[in-house]
Amino acid sequence: MNRKFIFLLFIGVLGITHQIKAQEITTVNGTVKDRLTGESIIGAVIKIDQLANVVVTSNEYGFYAISLPKGKYDLRISFVGYEEKRIPILLNAPLITNIFLESKNQLAEVVVSTKRKDDNLTKAQIGTETLNMQSISKVPVIFGEKDVLKTIQLLPGVKSAGEGNSGFYVRGGAADQNLILLDEAPVYNASHLLGFFSTFNSDAIKDATLIKGNGPAQYGGRLSSVLDVKMKDGNNKNYTVNGGLGLISSRLSIEGPIQEDKSSFILSGRRTYADVFLKASEKFKDNILYFYDLNAKANYKIDDKNRIYFSGYFGQDELGLGSSFRINWGNKTGTIRWNRIVNNKLFLNTSFIYSDYSYNVGLKNGETNFNVNSNIKDVNLKQDYTYYLNPKNTIRFGFNSILHTITPSVFSGTVNNNMNKVGRNGLENAVYFNNNFKANQQLTFDYGLRISAYSIMGGDQYNIYNNNAITQSILLQKNEFGKTYMNAEPRFTSNYRINDLSSVKIAYARNVQHLHLLSNATAASPSDQWIGNSYNIKPELADQTSIGYARNFKNNTYELGAELYYKSMQNQLDYKDGTNINTIADVESSLLYGVGRAYGFEFLVKKKIGLFSGWISYTLSKTERKIDGINEGNWYNAKQDRTHDVSIVTILELNSKWTVSGVFVYSTGNAVTFPTGKYALGEQTIYQYANRNANRMPDYNRLDLSATYENKNKKKNAGSWNFSLYNVYGRENAYQISFQDDPSDNSKTQIIQTALFRWVPSITYNFKF
Amino acid sequence: MMMYFKFFKYLYFILFLFTSCEKVITLPIENNDSQVIIEANITDQPGPYFVKLSKSISINQPNIYPIVSNGSIIIADNKGVKDTLKHTTGGIYKTNRIRGVYGNTYSLEVKVDGKIYTAQTTMPMKVNLDSLRINSFPVNGENRYSIIPVYQDPVGLGNSYRFIQKINDTLDGIYNIFNDNLNNGKINQRPLNNGTEKISVKLFDSISVEMQCISPAAHLYFYSLSQQSGAGPGGGTAPSNPPNNIIGGALGIFSAHTSQTKVIKILNK
Repeated sequence: MNRKFIFLLFIGVLGITHQIKAQEITTVNGTVKDRLTGESIIGAVIKIDQLANVVVTSNEYGFYAISLPKGKYDLRISFVGYEEKRIPILLNAPLITNIFLESKNQLAEVVVSTKRKDDNLTKAQIGTETLNMQSISKVPVIFGEKDVLKTIQLLPGVKSAGEGNSGFYVRGGAADQNLILLDEAPVYNASHLLGFFSTFNSDAIKDATLIKGNGPAQYGGRLSSVLDVKMKDGNNKNYTVNGGLGLISSRLSIEGPIQEDKSSFILSGRRTYADVFLKASEKFKDNILYFYDLNAKANYKIDDKNRIYFSGYFGQDELGLGSSFRINWGNKTGTIRWNRIVNNKLFLNTSFIYSDYSYNVGLKNGETNFNVNSNIKDVNLKQDYTYYLNPKNTIRFGFNSILHTITPSVFSGTVNNNMNKVGRNGLENAVYFNNNFKANQQLTFDYGLRISAYSIMGGDQYNIYNNNAITQSILLQKNEFGKTYMNAEPRFTSNYRINDLSSVKIAYARNVQHLHLLSNATAASPSDQWIGNSYNIKPELADQTSIGYARNFKNNTYELGAELYYKSMQNQLDYKDGTNINTIADVESSLLYGVGRAYGFEFLVKKKIGLFSGWISYTLSKTERKIDGINEGNWYNAKQDRTHDVSIVTILELNSKWTVSGVFVYSTGNAVTFPTGKYALGEQTIYQYANRNANRMPDYNRLDLSATYENKNKKKNAGSWNFSLYNVYGRENAYQISFQDDPSDNSKTQIIQTALFRWVPSITYNFKF
Repeated sequence: MMMYFKFFKYLYFILFLFTSCEKVITLPIENNDSQVIIEANITDQPGPYFVKLSKSISINQPNIYPIVSNGSIIIADNKGVKDTLKHTTGGIYKTNRIRGVYGNTYSLEVKVDGKIYTAQTTMPMKVNLDSLRINSFPVNGENRYSIIPVYQDPVGLGNSYRFIQKINDTLDGIYNIFNDNLNNGKINQRPLNNGTEKISVKLFDSISVEMQCISPAAHLYFYSLSQQSGAGPGGGTAPSNPPNNIIGGALGIFSAHTSQTKVIKILNK
């Protein structure tokens, strides 16, 4: 099908008419960039002085286009952290105007920023937050390593998977229900070192956007959220070197032009060296414990209309014990993107994406040696069109086609699977259409439809189970197609600006997920198993409705947001007690199915501008599951159900050199299952359990402080020091609670609480030249 | 896989060597619904065999379990033998004439306070424990030891095993539960867990290993028990009462299994 046809089809289907008025319309377009580095600016806001209701934002590549009647206009361009710019234009014929913005260096930036001062009031998006990487460095984090995944956990509706952990839950969803994208490539395990670091090296990252379930139609594939992380393009004017030296890890990145203004690159690496300390100790010299990762990106401007981007990520974790035990896992992603300005209204991006996540567990002791390998590979083709129809309508449409190959737990060595497990293929396709429609100055709509399909593919035998007994077996030959699941995912968001200071929003979205994670651990663990749809496993569905209210105070200095959401989930998966998901011949024989529901209230108040900035976030929520075969089929709390969740973040610029910041978090403990009773069997104490997750871990609370010294007057060769203390008052937050016979008195049961850390100090030196 | 989780625990330990802390706490205790516990075993060894009836208690009570001495118990096999058990002492009931035979199916009927609990199990064919082997491996300059039970798994699928390890006559408290989902039909090469923080296999220790060929239902029961770990973000899957083969709501297990014990002393090779 040719593009025009698809386009006309979409336009036709949704009944948008392109009215050409008596006045002749023409278009101005271009790219918004940072003047010093040439880095494209995502989400810059372009307004026109003469036409109050025209607001356009630059897309992921900094591109914008506005169609207007011929005439004289003044463009006003703004973006947080940059000086506002006014550009007069004379629009007689199609015009290309590239915009270069100058960054403001002195002013405090807000960590979580909407693009423009009152942007929160005009945009249709709901439940969306963008993190600016340059400014998150001021928020204290564990080990002094700024980390996008840990900072988003301080936002309403986002919960941490555990102490110091980069795993997160959004609005009651499970950890695998977040779509984590790095330059469009899905990252299947976004954690390093048992979750204490995320795979995102902040030096290589431009920004990250989190959409909590009501995303536009170009996103799909996961139920709860999209975290869209974008790498920097690289400075195309000058060479710069950035780096950081910390107690646990160090990082270094180099960026610069390949050909000035035409092409640039960035190369960024990171490695931990806790293993070096371990080697120094006689007791732990055989322990292996490190990770490294590498981000690389280059872009090349072919001509004024075409630009090509290459980006890649490679990361690996190595844990082990001498030669006897070894666990390693890693992600590899690669993206090739081609931006094309088809004409002055139509922007096209074509992406070819590869993603590979694999893990290995190797055991070698004495004569026993074996290796377990699991792997998930994606090859992905995507075309995304943005059509700037007129100042009121911006249309996005496109398709996405992914071939998944999922290979679970293949044993080799002296311990083997009985049947050779083979990789299963699945083909996931989607087409989508989305329109952003500004009806008038008050009312904005963003609506769309995504149609996703997942086809089971051949090369393996698929068993159909009824009550966990096989009723039918289907052998699909290689490249033969089995069942196809097709789902429509309508999305709708609307914003109504009540007055200059406030707006209300309403949204509905259906999300569909075709890949599922079976996990026997809370933190992302190499033993997790991904599995695609099959004859038994149906796509997971979520319907989320949310309403929001936003209000700004004191000339947009303060921003308040409140949202309510209700989400219902279908075809949720779990497995029966006593299932070993890694060794069982066919895990589908032990699966359980059910539904989920999550609802809550989120509140966020931010101070965005000034020497003192920060935010208070509060979430009141409930998250439950109901799965046949668990808790006698009754509703029970999901483990991540925490009633109250509070985060307070404050950043204070003391003077031109020192910035101090603090984070306080409080949350209700996780829902857990404690034993209610006990009995003896074969001389051993066995615990008796009642309802699933009916108990609570103790409340969690913690205060972190950090101070950053940076001489901001020096632009070049600038160094900065960051001192931070995690858990200032040394609270022993419960990480695990276990029950055992009291060692000093066998007739009693002892309850042991384990806390991971009390104080964790860190010092990081960051440099730039 | 057990080894694997233990290893993870170990990694956490070294990662937080200088900071991680444990303390004894108290928690508000819920009411416990006291239930009948049935522990019924038939083995391939000469009888009598025993069934123990007790009741579960609340978590904060001392470990003195109420015995059930007024129960009536019948065990029958598929060859027409029906045996009514007699209460001896302490909630323990004894068989009179039933014999544990490979391949026989046994049914159990227990009556307590007007409630009837039933269960059925088949004794698996015997797989011989040929020998015990010492597996030694160096960790941080120190030799560690584990035991490999040597047996030939039969060709057919569905064999399950339980190993009970005693270190110098002390139970190590670990559930070593294997089946042939891995390495079906091969000579076993998987080592038993080498102990806990409290007790582990060391040089010059005397290790006794009892191998039981167990039914798939008993495997599920004991494997589920082996998977239970502490609760919280650091814990594994949510624990629950292990699935058992007793109908009627009692906890415990009715197992017909083989039993064979070998002993080995850990010496330097």
